[in-house]
Amino acid sequence: MQTVGRTRTHFLIRAWTTFVVLAIYLPIACGALAGLSKGRYFAFPIRIFSTEWWGKTWDSFEIHVLVQNSVLIALIVTVLSVLFAFFGALAFARYPWKGRRAFQRLLLLPIFFPQPVLGLALLLWFNALGISPTWKTAVVAHLVWIVPVVTLVIAIQVFSFDPVLEEAASDLGASRLFTLRTVTLPILWPGIWSGALFAFLLSWGNFPLSLYTAGADSTIPKWLYSKMVAGYTPMVPALGTMSTLTAAALLLGGGLVRFLLRRRAELRARER
Amino acid sequence: MSSVAASAQSDSPAASRTPRPVLQLVDVRKVFDGFAAVDGISLDIEEGEFVTIVGPSGSGKTTLLRMLAGLESPSEGYITLRGELINDVPSNRRPTCLVFQSLALFPHMTVGDNIEFPLRVRKMAPEERRKRALELMAKVRLPEDYYSKNVMLCSGGEKQRVALARAFAYDPDVLFFDEPLSALDYKLKKLLEKELKDLHRESGKTFVYITHSLEEAMVMSDRIGVMRAGKVVQIGTPEQIYSTPADRFVAEFFGEVNIVPIRRADGGWLRRDGKPVAVAPDLDIVGDEASVVIRPEYMRFVTEEAGADNTLTGTIFNEYSLGSRLQYQVRSRTGRTFLIEVPRAAAWKGDGEVTIGWDAGNAIVVGG
Repeated sequence: MQTVGRTRTHFLIRAWTTFVVLAIYLPIACGALAGLSKGRYFAFPIRIFSTEWWGKTWDSFEIHVLVQNSVLIALIVTVLSVLFAFFGALAFARYPWKGRRAFQRLLLLPIFFPQPVLGLALLLWFNALGISPTWKTAVVAHLVWIVPVVTLVIAIQVFSFDPVLEEAASDLGASRLFTLRTVTLPILWPGIWSGALFAFLLSWGNFPLSLYTAGADSTIPKWLYSKMVAGYTPMVPALGTMSTLTAAALLLGGGLVRFLLRRRAELRARER
Repeated sequence: MSSVAASAQSDSPAASRTPRPVLQLVDVRKVFDGFAAVDGISLDIEEGEFVTIVGPSGSGKTTLLRMLAGLESPSEGYITLRGELINDVPSNRRPTCLVFQSLALFPHMTVGDNIEFPLRVRKMAPEERRKRALELMAKVRLPEDYYSKNVMLCSGGEKQRVALARAFAYDPDVLFFDEPLSALDYKLKKLLEKELKDLHRESGKTFVYITHSLEEAMVMSDRIGVMRAGKVVQIGTPEQIYSTPADRFVAEFFGEVNIVPIRRADGGWLRRDGKPVAVAPDLDIVGDEASVVIRPEYMRFVTEEAGADNTLTGTIFNEYSLGSRLQYQVRSRTGRTFLIEVPRAAAWKGDGEVTIGWDAGNAIVVGG
């Protein structure tokens, strides 16, 4: 009886996961194929395959500038939002004070605010202050929306952090800085890492905020959208596929580095 | 009750033994939002002593310990360590170390790294650190190969030993313990209590331990202080506390007891049911109300052959086996419940109706 149940469970698990993987990757695969079409227009089935558009995309100066903008914005947003979010998360998840709950709710509210409206509002503000929108204003706009998200991600880790550990470190003679360096930060690292990853991805893929606040500077999502609206070429899916592959390569690379580091630590521990 | 609090400092036998206390508390108070968690405690702790503070939860014992460790500062009063005022000295500048209830082991470190933490703070060289850690691991009976083990993979008892080794690595003058054994099973607890006592003797350090368990306090301590509502109601050797509790609270706290309320009448004492009570002749009670405290093992069944100074009748309504001994619950005619404990050989053979009693010399009379 039990084995029958187990076989059925396994079958359902497999069926479900296969469905999920297909549902996620089929559209991506179609997009990737679209980039490999020789024809200029988006049509299925693809008649002649070619890497022509990939080559053009790779060589395009315009695209280089786009990628640079997107990477720069995403990196700056990642660093700043992790910094803000780390201390913000500590403030409401670690220390008890009056109004921490109100602070937590206020902080999370911008997440629910529709991004196009937020982008427009910020643009109006920049105009009122006499700042002309560039990629720098886009960084500010991204931060407004991303810092709350990252704060939430890091706060989850901070909530599970036992403050007694800091007391114990102090009781064993450690200064505040030493405690932060050797106890608090190492324990919160996983949360900080995932927060940073979220920040980068949310900034990298953000369209509505960049549309309003980046001014004449373009980012990858902005360019993709404008090309879809007018002047489509297979460079659009080609660029999309390239960034997906890059992300996959980075993830695999990161995993590999982690694996190697862990193995080195284990070897060293065994040597001792 | 107030006369009891005043006697807190008086009956310490150690006071005459060593002239200078290592830790001294004078009228220490700690107030949180208008609530006095610690409400005026004066206490001397002698060099090399094992002092246990016992009390129910909420009695302020943890707050007291946190002030001694430097994790809270007192609202009023003075705490001195070897004659120096340490009220506002932060925990990382005190030569004291606290073993937390949760142990507070660093979960991202190995056993070795945990133990070496205080040595790393002092910038000791890695090789020396490692040597010292291994020495300490031997001292607390941790196998050497645990050095590179993830501390979160250790069992409860092993974690206990790691926490202890880490505290010793700090080499403090005074060690504090905040019920570190409370989460362990009975057998392991008993074993670690004995090891802790051995460690205390070998190291010669001063230990201050808090717990809510009478048994733990009795096994390990040189002196026991009983806390209630932010005050120390009695302090003395385990023997003193057990045999001469200062009041009903202490008597009841230290195990199951029978309480018989009595009142003064015509130079003698009467029970609630109007019968006279035989008490020890040298009784010194202020006021007209008092309680006779009789431990279950001093209660016995009264028969024609074996009488007792005081007797009462009732019915047995419960019987428990404690292994070599038996306990009975007896309900008296006035509706009070009495607990009586006898050797298995003296088990009650008759029906439910019994007469039980106690001798005046075996009972303690406390005021109130």
